[in-house]
Amino acid sequence: MQTLTQLILTGLQIGALYVIFSLGLTLIFGVMKIVNFAHGQFFTLTALLIAVLYPFFAGQGYSHVMAFSLVIAIGILASLVLGYLLYQFGFRFFQRDLAGSFILSVGFVLLIEGLLLHYFGGAVRAVPHFVEGSITVLNVNVTYQRLVLIFVSLVFTALLYWVLGHTRTGKAMRAVSIDHEAAMIQGIPYKKIALTGFLIATFLGALAGAVMAPLAMVSPTVGADYLVKGFIAVILGGLGSVPGAIVGSLFIGFIESFGGFYFDPSFANIAIFVLVMIALLVRPNGLMGNG
Amino acid sequence: MKLRNKIAGMAVLACSASLLSAPAFSQETIKLGLSIPLSGSGANWGIGSQWLCDEAAREVNASGGVKVGGKVYNFECVAYDNKYNAAEGTKVAQTLLRKDGAKFIAGSLGTAPARAMQSLTERAGVLMFTTAWGPSIKGPNYPLTFTQMNTPLELVEPLIRYIKKTHPDIKTVALLNPNDASGQDVEVIARRVWEDVGVKVIASDWYERGTTEFQPIAAKIAQLRPDVVDLGGAPPPDAGRVFKELKAAGWKGIQVVEAGTGADGLMSTGGDAAEGTYLGAAVNFDDPSATDLQRRLNEGVKKATGESVNAIQIGFYDAVKALKAAMEKAQSIEPKAVAEALPQVTFEGAYGTSAFGGKDTYGIPQQILVPVIVTQVQGKTLRQVDRLDSQELKERLQKASQ
Amino acid sequence: MDKKTISGSFVALAVAMAVALFLKDGYSANLMAWMAIAALIASGLRFVTLIGELNFAAAAFVGLGAYAAGYSLTILEWPFLVSLLFAGLFSALIGVGFGYVTLKTKGPYFLLIGFAFTEVIRLIYTRINVLGGNSGMIGIFPPDFLMDHFTVFTVGLTGLLIIIMYAIEKSYLGKCFIGIRDNDQVVLSVGINVHMTKVLCLSIGAFVSGIAGGLTAYVNNVISPADFSFLLSTFALAYLKVGGEDHPLGPIAGAILLVFLGSIALRFGGGDHIFYGIAIILTLLVMPKGIFGLWESFKSSRKHVDVVQQSAKGGQA
Repeated sequence: MQTLTQLILTGLQIGALYVIFSLGLTLIFGVMKIVNFAHGQFFTLTALLIAVLYPFFAGQGYSHVMAFSLVIAIGILASLVLGYLLYQFGFRFFQRDLAGSFILSVGFVLLIEGLLLHYFGGAVRAVPHFVEGSITVLNVNVTYQRLVLIFVSLVFTALLYWVLGHTRTGKAMRAVSIDHEAAMIQGIPYKKIALTGFLIATFLGALAGAVMAPLAMVSPTVGADYLVKGFIAVILGGLGSVPGAIVGSLFIGFIESFGGFYFDPSFANIAIFVLVMIALLVRPNGLMGNG
Repeated sequence: MKLRNKIAGMAVLACSASLLSAPAFSQETIKLGLSIPLSGSGANWGIGSQWLCDEAAREVNASGGVKVGGKVYNFECVAYDNKYNAAEGTKVAQTLLRKDGAKFIAGSLGTAPARAMQSLTERAGVLMFTTAWGPSIKGPNYPLTFTQMNTPLELVEPLIRYIKKTHPDIKTVALLNPNDASGQDVEVIARRVWEDVGVKVIASDWYERGTTEFQPIAAKIAQLRPDVVDLGGAPPPDAGRVFKELKAAGWKGIQVVEAGTGADGLMSTGGDAAEGTYLGAAVNFDDPSATDLQRRLNEGVKKATGESVNAIQIGFYDAVKALKAAMEKAQSIEPKAVAEALPQVTFEGAYGTSAFGGKDTYGIPQQILVPVIVTQVQGKTLRQVDRLDSQELKERLQKASQ
Repeated sequence: MDKKTISGSFVALAVAMAVALFLKDGYSANLMAWMAIAALIASGLRFVTLIGELNFAAAAFVGLGAYAAGYSLTILEWPFLVSLLFAGLFSALIGVGFGYVTLKTKGPYFLLIGFAFTEVIRLIYTRINVLGGNSGMIGIFPPDFLMDHFTVFTVGLTGLLIIIMYAIEKSYLGKCFIGIRDNDQVVLSVGINVHMTKVLCLSIGAFVSGIAGGLTAYVNNVISPADFSFLLSTFALAYLKVGGEDHPLGPIAGAILLVFLGSIALRFGGGDHIFYGIAIILTLLVMPKGIFGLWESFKSSRKHVDVVQQSAKGGQA
């Protein structure tokens, strides 16, 4: 019984991270109908900045909480700036062009990853936990950091739901994702909405990097693995669907947890890919998508 | 005087001046090719290796170069990124051999690209050094290939025997390896040696390089309660994470990373959980027992990569020194002649006097004879706990001094 | 397809082969062979865009072809031409299965499913020992009589396949494909089995990719699973976009340019990613329709000028 609880909690936590990550991906697709391969770079940049700046600030005498809050803010801000640049000088011209935007994003990945490797070096860095220690929940040992992750994920998912459902911007984004021409006729400022959507997605990617940094091995290539799984989650759930992204992410989290335990991580990876392909056969637009 | 005569006169003067100032030896450069990862997760290994090749070349050139047949040659290291796969490895091989005309490959890192390189070098009569581990990479069919570091065949047995000797009560071991060439090569040998010393292998699992979520597999291993957890070919940062998760899952025991090349990554991700881990391919050139040369090399690599030097990179320094010795012994810069001289010479590498041997194991002497160094993480530093010098080397040096 | 285009393309191919003959087997010859293979993969990708889909699984089919050729040569010891043909047929067969199952999805879903498929197949290679696992498969050599002029063979074969694909594109079958891309409901209403036609298109693409894979194996002599990751599909897509996806010569131009840039970038060590990335970004921003798109717009603007001049003259006369 204890094993089962452990596995469920792990699956939940792994899934929670993918949720934050894939919400951004699905949002961009919904609003701009593009697939952004460079989404993982926001994750990486934030995580790297935190890894590098935290020791600096801690050394300067800031308290742990102060230093951490500061570097998280800086990391997320840097990613937002990067996101803005990518939008203005790139994605803005490729909306609704699937192939073009995809290739452009690949170009960005090569460029950004190359620059990050050049400036930060290839070594893996460690980031201390935001909250040290662990507690025993239901007979299972869980570190506080993982609980923080689940908590952050819940909070921001709820926030996103609220924004999409109850604010003008959110409703405009939903309108655009359903039928952008009709939305424009209604007077919705499409360009502004696209930018807003892109920046929200960027924020979510950066946030994922911030919460995961203490638990991952931070290096310029850390975003890649999460990116692939994030895409899988998004296709599984249905591109453009927020509940779909959540369902897809949790699904992958559970397979990774259970598969990794009963078999091994390598097998779990293969299983994820195969299951996604099967799911798409049954529901070609994703579990909850509508094209 | 007419202009034409003036010009002719100046030309004659210029020619004679240049004749007089011609050096007694003419300087030429020998290109040493490197096929190494310079991007992606293996980048640090590649960058460090390149620095060590450059450093060795600098030393050789500064001390008078390589003297062969009345000429003096300088070494120059030329490195290209092989991205750890065969297709890029082929491009690098083609560029080095066909475009740059290199006749010596001072190092190839990564089994797949090394094989791509070898496919060309053996046919083109080029001498190649490699850090690739599989035993099939050398042998009588590949007379121009030399291994520049200890492979699992040399490493694993001393390491495991040492551990069993120090902890005689251990009975079970769980193996976990990355699903790549190093992992696959190490696992096969480790499994055999553990069984040989009487420790039962109760699990052998695989994970994909690039995974960062080790909680599930750590939980699985912890549940089996092995006395030893052997992470074989896992890179140190991965290993650190695994041990951390194992600790969180409540497991305690002997921790081994056979192919562990350095403690920095291990300690940064593992924290306290890294304590007591045994590493087989790491060196500690910060240790008080390190020589001046070793300390200097370590400082240089640290500056270039941010991490201490490891056993893989050292092979690149050793190869260059070995080449100088072999070329001077053979008095030739033709790869075939140098290859024949290589097993006969000794040279000053990073570990001291070294040579090439291993005929009994491989059929032809292509294995570098350097000590196996067992290290352990003790209190946030890496300590050397055992050093096994190559028996063959000891005998050879003894015979030479008689 | 008109006589001019046919004879034109064969002449161009003959010239290319002559250049390859001249280069013998040095570095430039190898570079040319890689360019030819890249052009073939990109053209295969373009062929599948006729039905309006981006076949991101192209890398998987290239890999399957490469391993099929390698396995059939080194282990089954089949003769060269048979093993090369087998490479294409094996990929095509898997392509039929893959297409039948996945072509029910469209657009980004099909793209990402192709992505997932490529990764799964790659992982499977690493677990199969007889294929060499992660260390790769070695010893894939062309027969002795072709060894020194393998580039000529490669250029010839890839050129031939590209011409055949163009012929199909201009034929009735090709028009069916384009019809499906533009509006598959209309095609369905005419009584054509849209799904199986799409599968046919994909399997032809897979066949071509498989041959490209077999050629890769023979040119490089050593293959590893990492050679056939999604990055290969991505680069093929880059060749297509940079060269111009509307024109059949587009993928060839893109392949030649980017493979050439890649060989220069090797000099920059780890920095070649940055170089390649910038090249792709700049090309996409400055010439979104690719090289041939630029040429076409240049041509049509000239035509426009001519028409204006004619009408001006006509007005004056």
